[in-house]
Order: sequence, then C-alpha cells, then structure tokens
Amino acid sequence: MPNLTMIVLAVAQGVILLLLAPLMTGVSRMIRARMHSRRGPGVLQDYRDLAKLFKRQDVAPAVSGGVFRAAPYVILGTMFLLAMALPAFTRTSPLPFLADLITFAYLFALVRFFFSLSGIDSGSAFGGLGAGRELTLGILVEPTMILSLLVVALIEGTTNLGAIGAGIGGNYLQAPAAIGLAMLAFAFTVFIEMGKLPFDMAEAEQELQEGPLTEYSGPSLALMKLGLGLKKVVMAQFLLGVFLPFGVAASLAPASLALAAVALPLKLLAVFTLAGLIENSMARGRFLLTSRVTWVGFGLAALSFVFYLTGL
Amino acid sequence: MSLTPLGYLLLSVLLFLAGAGLSIVSARCERLAINLSSLLGVLGGAAGLAAALPVLLTGQGAAMAFDGPFAFARFTVRLDMLAALMVGVISLLALLTSLYAQSYVREYAGRGAWAMGLFMNTFIAAMLALVVVDNAFWFLVFFEAMSLASYFLVIFDQDEESVGAGLLYFLIAHAGSVLIMIAFFILYSHSGSLDFASFRGLKLSPAVASLVFVLAFLGFGAKAGMVPLHSWLPRAHPAAPSHGSAMMSGVMVKIGVFGIVKVGIDLLGAQAAWWGLLVLAVGAVSAVLGVLYALAEQDIKRLLAYSTVENVGIILMGVGAGMIGLATGHVALAALALMAAFYHLFNHALFKGLMFLGAGAILFRAHTRDMALLGGLARRMPQTALAFLVGAMAICALPPFNGFVSEWYSYQALFAMGHDGDFMMRLAGPAAMVMLALTGALAALCFVKAWGMTFSGQPQSAHAEHAEEAPFAMVLAMLLLAVLCALSGIGAPWLAPLFARVATSLTGGAAVPVAQGLTLHSGLFNTPASVSTPMLALLLVAAPIVPLLFMAVVRGGGVPRRHAGDAWACGYVTEKTMTVSPQGFAQPVRFMFAALYRLRDTLSPAAGFRRGLGATVAGAARVEPLWDERLIAPIVAGVQRIARRIAVLQRGDFRVYCLYVVVALVTLLLIAVR
Repeated sequence: MPNLTMIVLAVAQGVILLLLAPLMTGVSRMIRARMHSRRGPGVLQDYRDLAKLFKRQDVAPAVSGGVFRAAPYVILGTMFLLAMALPAFTRTSPLPFLADLITFAYLFALVRFFFSLSGIDSGSAFGGLGAGRELTLGILVEPTMILSLLVVALIEGTTNLGAIGAGIGGNYLQAPAAIGLAMLAFAFTVFIEMGKLPFDMAEAEQELQEGPLTEYSGPSLALMKLGLGLKKVVMAQFLLGVFLPFGVAASLAPASLALAAVALPLKLLAVFTLAGLIENSMARGRFLLTSRVTWVGFGLAALSFVFYLTGL
Repeated sequence: MSLTPLGYLLLSVLLFLAGAGLSIVSARCERLAINLSSLLGVLGGAAGLAAALPVLLTGQGAAMAFDGPFAFARFTVRLDMLAALMVGVISLLALLTSLYAQSYVREYAGRGAWAMGLFMNTFIAAMLALVVVDNAFWFLVFFEAMSLASYFLVIFDQDEESVGAGLLYFLIAHAGSVLIMIAFFILYSHSGSLDFASFRGLKLSPAVASLVFVLAFLGFGAKAGMVPLHSWLPRAHPAAPSHGSAMMSGVMVKIGVFGIVKVGIDLLGAQAAWWGLLVLAVGAVSAVLGVLYALAEQDIKRLLAYSTVENVGIILMGVGAGMIGLATGHVALAALALMAAFYHLFNHALFKGLMFLGAGAILFRAHTRDMALLGGLARRMPQTALAFLVGAMAICALPPFNGFVSEWYSYQALFAMGHDGDFMMRLAGPAAMVMLALTGALAALCFVKAWGMTFSGQPQSAHAEHAEEAPFAMVLAMLLLAVLCALSGIGAPWLAPLFARVATSLTGGAAVPVAQGLTLHSGLFNTPASVSTPMLALLLVAAPIVPLLFMAVVRGGGVPRRHAGDAWACGYVTEKTMTVSPQGFAQPVRFMFAALYRLRDTLSPAAGFRRGLGATVAGAARVEPLWDERLIAPIVAGVQRIARRIAVLQRGDFRVYCLYVVVALVTLLLIAVR
C-alpha cells in the first residue's frame, strides 16, 4: 500500500494538473485565434469563464435526470483520479496500484460512458447525437490506443505504466523502430482524444466532444469544462509520462522534484502548441468518413507491433 | 440438519422437481401454482448453493455411483470444483429468478402460468443434474431434457415469432446434440465404457482426439451461441419469458462453455495448441460481432441476447488461452486464463441475469420491448433504472464492478501469452487483446444506448408514460443482483483465489497467486501487474465528493438549482419526437462497419435455413400443380386443339355457310339414296 509521501505527491500532482488545465486550453484558443489572424481573448480567458460560470444559476431541462446531474462530478472525479495516478513528476506512478494500462483504459471508458449518457439524459436531441458520435470516436480510437501501448508494454514486460515509462526512458535503443512507431500511433490517438480538427472542434457546442454539454449551465457546465480540460491535459501527460519521461525526478529529493515541477508545464505547453499548430492547419473532415483517417493510426500501431515481433 | 454436498444437491434437484410437480397439481389455482413454484425454486437455489459452497471453499469434491436402470450406463455423479462452480452459478441465479418470478409470472395468469413453473423448474433441475453426472449417456439425457424444457419456454407465447424462434432453436440445439453424441460414441468405441472416468484415461491418436474435440466444440458451441452458430440465440432468448431469458442467457449458454471445457480440457487434456487457438479465434470473433450486432438492435431483449454472444466470446477467449497454455506447457498461464474465463462466466450470469430481469420489469410495466417506444422510465421506475445502470456499467467492464475484474484478468492472461509464448502465441495474444479492447468500446456504445433510450428523455408512448415501479419481489431480485455485481467487483481480492482454485483443479500445478492483501495480481512473475479494486472503488466513490464539497464551499448559498422548461431545439418548441432514436444513435457505427453487418446475413445458418424453407415451399408449390400439368392440362390442351381445328370451319362468310348447307344436303341425299 502507498506510503504518505506518495499520497501527498499524488494529490499535489492531481491538483497541479487540474490547475494547469484551463491555462492549456487557453493556450489552444490563443493559437487558433492567432492562426485565424484574430487577437484572441488571452490565455487566461478560461479561468475567467470558469469563475463566471461558478457564480451563475444551474438550469436544466425538466426532463433531464439523475445521470445528467451526477455526470459532472463523476467525470471530474475520475479524471482527477487518473491525474493522480499518472507518472508525472516521478518516473514511476505515485499510486502504482492504479497505474495499470488496462485500468487506465477502462477508467477513460468510465468517463466516456458518463459523458455520453449525460448527453442523452439531458433530453436534448443535440446532446444525444453528440453522445453517439463521442462513443463512435471511442470505438475508432480504442484499438489503436491499446495496441500502441501494448507494444511498449510487451517490450518492457509489464502493463504498469510507471514501469513502462521508466523502462523506455532509460533505453530507446532496445527496439527503436517499434517504440518510435508506437509513440507516433499513440500520439495520434492522444490528438483525437484532445478533441482536435479534423475529427472534432472542442469549442463548438454542436460538435462531438462538447455536444453532450448543450444543456449544461452554470456550475455544472464549469465542472464539465474543467473535467474535459483535465482530460486533455491527462492525455498529453499520458503521452509524455509513458513515452517521453525526460526531466522527471529520479528520486524524491526536493531539488529534482523542483526541476520536474518546472519541466512539466513546459513539456505540456510544447504538446499543446504542437497539437494546436497541427489542428489549425487542417480542414474539418466529414464525421462519417472519420474511420478512413483512423485506419492510418491503427496501421501505424500494427506496423510497430510487427517491428516488435521481428525485434527491430 | 447437516447434509453432505451431494445430499444438498439431491435436495436441491428434488425441490426443483417438486416445484415443477406442484405446479401441475395446482394448475387449477394459478395463484397457488405461481407461489409454490417460486417458493420451491428459492429453496432449491439455496440448497444448491449449500451444495456448491463447501466444495468450492475446501476444494474437496465428492463422487458417487449407482447402478441405474440401464446395464450399459451407470449413474455416476461427480461434484468436482468445476461442477461445483456451475452448480453455484445455476443455483444463485435460479434463486433470484424464482424470487422475481413470484411477481412476474402473474402477467401470464390465465395463459398457463402453471406450465411456466413446470418448465422453468424442470429446466433448472436438468441443468443441475447435467453438470454433475459423470457418464456420457446420462449427460446426453439431461442435455436433451434441458433443451426440451427451454424449448417450451421459448414457444410459451405461442405467437408466430416465438414459434418460429422455437423451431430454429430446436433444430440447432439438436444438430448440436447429434455432434456431441458422435463425439461421445467415438470415445466410447475406444474406451468400452460410457463413464467419463474411462474417457479421461484414454490414449487417443492425435487425429481421433482432434476429431472428437472439433465435434464437441461445434456441438457445445451451438449451445453456447458462438459465432457462426449463434443465429438462434437472438431470436430464442428474447421470445422466452424474461426470467427464462435470464436463465437461458445467464446460465444455459454457459453449459455450452462447460461442455467445451469438460471435453477439451478435462477429458482430452487439451493436447494440441491449435485447439486452443481455434477456441480463442472463435471467441474473439464472437465477441466483436456479437456486440456489433447488439448495438444495432432496437428491441431491448434482442440487444441483450446479442450481447450474450459477445460475452460468451470473451469467456471462450479465456478458455482458448488456457488450452493453448496447457498444450504448450505454460501451466501458470493456463491457470490464469481459465480463472479469468470462470470469473467472467460467473460475472456474466450476474449482470446479464440482472439486465434481463430489468428488461422484464420494463416489459411488465410498459408492455413493449421496442426502445423507440420507451424513454423517460428513470423517473417512473427509479429502482429498476438504478439496477439496470449497475448492470450496464458492469457489462461494459467499468470499474469498480465485476466485469472489469474478469476482463482485467483476461487481458493479463492474453498479455502473458503474448509475452512468454512462441511466435504464434506472441501474435495471437495481442491480436486478441485488441479485439477485446474494440469489444469494450462497442459495448459502451451499446449499453449507453440501451440505458439512455429506455430510461432517459421523454416517454415515447402512452404505455411508457404511465409505467410505474415494478412490484417488490422483482425490484428486490434486481437490487440483490446489482449489489452482487458491485460486491464481486470490489471484493475481487477475496473471490479471485476461489476461481483460481477451480482453474488449478483442471490444469494441475501450483496455485497461481492472483491476489495479495487488497491487490489483484496477474499471478505471473514474468509480467507483474496489479490493481487494487477495493482502493479503486474507495477512490471512485471519494473522487466525486471532492468537487461536491468544493461546490458547497464556493457556492455556499447561491441561487438554487432549477429544473424547468424544455431542452433547447434551435428556438422551436420541443416535441417528444425530437430526440435521437435507437437507430440514429448507432447509425455512424452501422455506416463504418457496414461490411460486418452484411456478413451477418451471409454467414448466418438462419439465412440458409430460411432459404431451405423457401426452397421447400417453392418445391411444394411446384409439386402441387403437377397433377394439373400432367393430367388436366394435356386434356384441356387437346380439347382446345381440336376446337381450334373445328373452328377453322367457322369462316364468318355467309356464302361458305351456304356451301356447308349444300354439302350437307348433298351428303344426306346420297346417304338416303343408298
């Protein structure tokens, strides 16, 4: 069972990632604005939005039910759990009994389940359609995600995320081609999960990832936005923690932890900037044809698996 | 009163038979028949649990043999670990469905409710007897009894749909039992005895062993509903009364899995790796296709039935990995994989039982299975909605419920196979894991749809609008199952070793350490992995409380929440038809996986069956007018031909007619003169 230091570290890590979430989404918005030749609202706008929403009244349609009401708490809570269990400041996870590849996949599924169910439970047709699309996207992403993580897990011989990250960070040369391709494939799924073009447009409410948000308002909406923002940060950190564990603390010494605390936001910023640049140089794709694009990701993952089998 | 496990088992079977018998006796007074059969069912289930638990806990089986009425087949009973597991699963679900039936069957009052008690209890008794007999002849007798009793449950409604489904079920079930019979007779011809014990010691040539295995696999696979022998399942299970569907989907299909394990591992000892690979491949395909077809359904019970195909696939994946492990000498892997399969078998009985009971409650109150006509039931049936939600989350393998635990073990077993095995296993393990992941994502869509379309939004029909909460006995049975789903997930560190013992009883070798303290382990030292379900559950409950507290602090006495008005509809007045339909919800998936949906129609034996039926009808239609063609038509044609010849005379010209008259006169004159 975890000792006290690890629990403190886990909570601190969760809180820091949570606090960074609106900043990162704000950066994404600014990048989009600049690439559209607009000035944009400033990177702190999402904090202001949240503060405003928390003060407003919570209004919901009469037909909305219990799941609609509970979903913001469940989603934010589960995402926070994932944020605590990721390897972020340290090589290994502070909560090793949670940081399992399979457990993570199904905790993400829990979030998706409640997110889409809340869309249907709102009684809005838009919410329902958004829910269906969100789940469809999950179906397209899940196999790629599992396969790409599986390749590195097989290389390291464990499904524990911290152990995978520690093993990979130490030595890329054990299977360079397989690890490289797996990273590309996983980055592809992270990009989709972050709600980016050409798959999605996270800021437009009639779109997929925020479709189920149609009927949320006030504090519930704030919690939902916070939860989804945290999801993006967690996905980015998932990629960093497993495939690119640079600059993290090798021990629990204060100095190395401080260094890691500085490196973490910078690395996240790099991921969000890169994702923003790619996103905004794309056109919106037709939803029903998404599966043609996601095959590319699955192909990458399958290729990396083949490289793993041949030992490259 | 203390009895041996076998004594309790006998008591349990006798109680179920008494329930069946008393149902007939009290047929005149239906109320009494319903109450008696469900009371005896509950008692029988309890007795069955009392038989199974000591064996599972101590690991000590029991066996007994009698000289039956037939000289060639002794009545041998063997309650080993695997049989005890099956007895436990059957009894547990039988207990709860009998409780549920006490209210549910009243819906059938006046339509032969007593007969339902008869068939239901006979069905359960046959299954209990089936899993413990140790003789091929008696096994087949009880197998037939089970098929027959469930056949009557399927056709209970006597409408066109259920009779058609029953016919298909009857044919496929018997095609399956013929294959099983052949398999057993091959074994019998080598051993000279029908006892399973004599089969176990056989040294068969690989070709004969493989033939026996493939026959048994196909035969039992038809019962288990694996793809491509599944097509009866989504038609037959929904047609049965809901507690019957729960027993059929929750337990009876597992008899098929049990048979595969029995023949493949217990009797034949999983000799060749390709057997396991076959089972694994069929399992993976069943899992993906099963759920893919499930999510396209609009009828809630058909959706659940297709999802049974999916879950049987997941169980078979574990069984297949276990057989591969045994054949290649990875005993620890085999134990882990079989343990995952048994755990999922148990879990699926719980959550699928729960969901069929839930569908029954909906049917009971809203009188339709069509999800397009439901909606908004969470408000009117809150407890059913809650129980169904738990079932949906468990079946989607969401933590902390039980489905997650068994799928976690399945993943770990496949992972170990991919890590430790030879090239073929290294290829098959990860491929199966990807299929499992795809299945999980598809299941999420499927059950979000099932719950959302049924319980959320506005009621789409008058029946749904006026539904009310199900009666107490039904709600109690569902809530108990929901609690069991949660407990067997959270309590996995205590339950998992039990299933591991069942698995090791088949594989031999040392016990696999699958749990330690509060943490689950993959049990394999090469690929250590762990997860702690009690901690996970605790954190999952605690995590949403944090934002709740935060809200309470930040908002304090803010403006209270308001639930009013319609959902936004672009400024138009919301109507209840403005909602996403069950078909629309799954439409993107249907579009993207269109090829696999086409496969359903081309692969299904039902289509072949229908084509055969069509050909027969067409043939009959051709034979029937044969008389016309061969006898009557020639005569008619002859008459017409002659008539046409004669019609030549009729020229329509009066001069010709004058000529005829003259010719006639001349002829007559000539005759007269002569």
